[in-house]
Amino acid sequence: MVPPSAPLPLVANGVAAEDTARKENLRMVPPEVYMRTYLQLFGGLLPVDAQKRAKAGDGGSVFDSWDDYVSALGFPDYRFDIPRQTQTNALMVAAFERLGIALCDRALEHDLKGKAPLPVQDRLIFAFDLPKGTVDAKAFGPRFDVLHRTFLGYPAALAPPQRTARFFQLYRDLVSEHAKTSPKSRFTPDEAGWAGVCYGLVRHPEFHLY
Amino acid sequence: MLRLPRALPRLSLLSILVALVPAVFALDAASAPPTVSRTLDDYRHFRTVAIDLTGRAPTREEIAATERADWNLDHWIDGHVTGPGYVERLTRIYMDLLRLEPNLTFSDPPAQLFRASIAGPDGKPMYVFYRGGQRRPREATDADFCLSPDETGLVIRPGAEAVGTPKKVPQKLLDQYTMLVKPWWLYKDYKSWTPSQLYGAGWPNPDPEYRPVEGLLSEPDGKPTTAVRVCKEEAQGMDVGHVYASGRKPPGAPAPAVKPGPGKPALPVNGKPGAPAPPVSGKPLAPAKVVAPGSTSQHALPNGAPAMPAPMGSMAAAAAPALAGTPSKFPGGRLKAAPVDSKYAMEHAGEAVECATRMGLDYAVDCGCGVGLERCEPSTGFNFDSPAFYYPNHMPLGPGMPLDEARQPASRWFPYWWSREAVRLLGDLFQEDRDFREILTGHRTFVNGPLSQFYRIVQRGNCCGPEANFGMKTEMEPLFDPKNVPPDLEPTDVGTWKMVADRGPHSAGLLTTPMFLQKYASARARGAVLYNVFMCKSFISDKAELLPSDEPNLTIRPGCATCHATLEPLAAYFARVEPASFVFLPEAEFPARNPTCKKDRNGHLNGPCNALYDVAFADDHGAMLRSAYSSPAHADETPAGAGRDITQTPEFAQCAVQQVTSSFLGRPISPDDDTLVRGLTSDFVKSGYRMRTLVKGIVRSDSYRKANNMSSTTWRGAP
Repeated sequence: MVPPSAPLPLVANGVAAEDTARKENLRMVPPEVYMRTYLQLFGGLLPVDAQKRAKAGDGGSVFDSWDDYVSALGFPDYRFDIPRQTQTNALMVAAFERLGIALCDRALEHDLKGKAPLPVQDRLIFAFDLPKGTVDAKAFGPRFDVLHRTFLGYPAALAPPQRTARFFQLYRDLVSEHAKTSPKSRFTPDEAGWAGVCYGLVRHPEFHLY
Repeated sequence: MLRLPRALPRLSLLSILVALVPAVFALDAASAPPTVSRTLDDYRHFRTVAIDLTGRAPTREEIAATERADWNLDHWIDGHVTGPGYVERLTRIYMDLLRLEPNLTFSDPPAQLFRASIAGPDGKPMYVFYRGGQRRPREATDADFCLSPDETGLVIRPGAEAVGTPKKVPQKLLDQYTMLVKPWWLYKDYKSWTPSQLYGAGWPNPDPEYRPVEGLLSEPDGKPTTAVRVCKEEAQGMDVGHVYASGRKPPGAPAPAVKPGPGKPALPVNGKPGAPAPPVSGKPLAPAKVVAPGSTSQHALPNGAPAMPAPMGSMAAAAAPALAGTPSKFPGGRLKAAPVDSKYAMEHAGEAVECATRMGLDYAVDCGCGVGLERCEPSTGFNFDSPAFYYPNHMPLGPGMPLDEARQPASRWFPYWWSREAVRLLGDLFQEDRDFREILTGHRTFVNGPLSQFYRIVQRGNCCGPEANFGMKTEMEPLFDPKNVPPDLEPTDVGTWKMVADRGPHSAGLLTTPMFLQKYASARARGAVLYNVFMCKSFISDKAELLPSDEPNLTIRPGCATCHATLEPLAAYFARVEPASFVFLPEAEFPARNPTCKKDRNGHLNGPCNALYDVAFADDHGAMLRSAYSSPAHADETPAGAGRDITQTPEFAQCAVQQVTSSFLGRPISPDDDTLVRGLTSDFVKSGYRMRTLVKGIVRSDSYRKANNMSSTTWRGAP
């Protein structure tokens, strides 16, 4: 049994400054902005044309139809008084993922897999030359910067310090996995690596928030 | 891959891109001006502004441009508070608040054509168009399909599948009761004597947005449709008909002194109206008597229904239990008696009636769908959900950027265009940087072909039922005066939009558009949305105990008064616009307090009075117009008064600033923002309520710059 006693004063273990500055949550990019950006990355297509290109009829099944995504992306439906979504949810994130993969795959086919090499200025997303041979960190950096600016709007050099290194690791892992015994893929290991980097950026929270 | 629409609308992606990717971004490495290093906050701020003012994330080229030493954000903002992205951004704010898209159908009985399939002379199926409730001289078919069940083997009525076994209809009978017409939806030149510009064959450059469904373009045997067979009464082309009395009196009614109505319908059709039409006047063609209180029979319609028309479905329901072939006691094998004459028809037989009005359908056998059927809308089946035209289900990025294209019911055709009109109206306000008060007070609007058809003709079909008993047989002071509709728009000109500088004296910005009035169908709903959206106030109930009460005045009833003391006077502004409609009730014919609408000895109002006046606010001396009881003065000020009064309150400007600022900051406005809101409001008012001033103020404010103020250490830890 502990007898009652006067409370002991709290012992200070250190002093920390309190940040009283107002903090704001990041806003979700409105679905209209997301879709316009998406279409612009797809080459400035109209939605129905982007859908056609994304579906491509090659059995890839990477895209269904805009009608299937329109509510998941958070668009309001004024007819039924359904307000716009201002926060992400699991279904929305899944839709982002599916749309992002469709964009990256079709853009890679457009940019890098044409019969004749496409001039860099005509490429949609992968606006750089693929280096011959193994891509090292030095070769990866500037190319990653192009993609980083494309999706996130600022140079990779200003990103958190490990970002470029982590994406390079992702690239290398994908190339290495893809080079294993006969993966069923239309992409070469290098292409799969760049597509994976694209997936990472198009699904990045910074792409969907502002 | 990029297909350019013929007339790319204002908000299209391409136009955004054209506006935002000028040649200056095409940097040449050798001649590029010196660059400066920007901070992460600079890049993020630019991305935010770009998203808000251009409607998309910035491109690599735009980002590169910001790194040039001579680049200036202020100049960039000035150049982008005018483009389509900016207009769409602001339009989105008010569309989110008002949700002006229809989840509704509009099927005006005088305007809606249904299509029946009967067996032709050779026994093969053929289509015949008809209207529900069309008056016909034959008792066997009056207010029904123009060929009787005995003649077709079918019971044909709107809202339900035909029932029975079809039998061949002889050519002679077909020619007697139907005729071929080249309608507006198939012929560009439907008004000419010999229309030849058929959709898909001879129609020069049809608007790509105008697409009738396949069912309207082909016959049952698959051959292309070049003309449609229509019941003869519907095919008539005159503007004015005559009140018809059949001589069939209601049970128990005294023998009427019936003046013979025109027995034979006049001939139609394309550019060949039959008999010369009497002059049309905006005023009632003949004065009608206000029905004496206490009467119970004067307000019956020709078919014996109550004064307010019964929905189409009820007609079908009435006929459904019986089958064709069942012995019928009615002429022609019809399943229900032909309509009897109402007292109105008996008293006014032979008087002129405008064919575009509801009365033209209900009272005249010589009123049809006009030249080329331009007063009517087609459908491909027996109800108004039958498909008629293609248009998008989803168009979240605006006109010209649909996500799909689907066969849509005939009844959604006009609501679809109402919504487009509302978006145009908002877009014009922001594009031209007009005085924002015009959103509630402006007289102008924009119409295309379908809207022109609607405002010129179809809207008149909403009137007049009970109103006729007050002397209004056609709309006297419509919210959109048909005279102000551009005359050179055809119903199929869907992609051609024209500005109408003045809809009419009662017009008031969005408040008098069909989209607003149908979306917010009751006077209270209309008042409440004004209070919420344009005054930023909500109705919050107090803690009063809700005791049983028979007090009809909600502004004083305990527990109700907290909200209704404010809401009822706001609702009163809309007392003169009928609920779920846009029929305007003029003060002269419909005084706020009407001494002719008195309670009878049983405490009731007669039918027409009851439809428009409130028995809860009636006595032996008169009755109050519905929704007007709390403020007859507001009722007489009409929606235009609501717009004027609300825009003159200090709350209006402050609320507009709050709504837009909150949207740009991505969070509700709080008391911490008072200084910002005060400053922005002051500038907004000084500028003459110009949104451009407000938006520039917001995006240049410190609050906006810090609206995503998460330091890099708290930034998401994604790789």
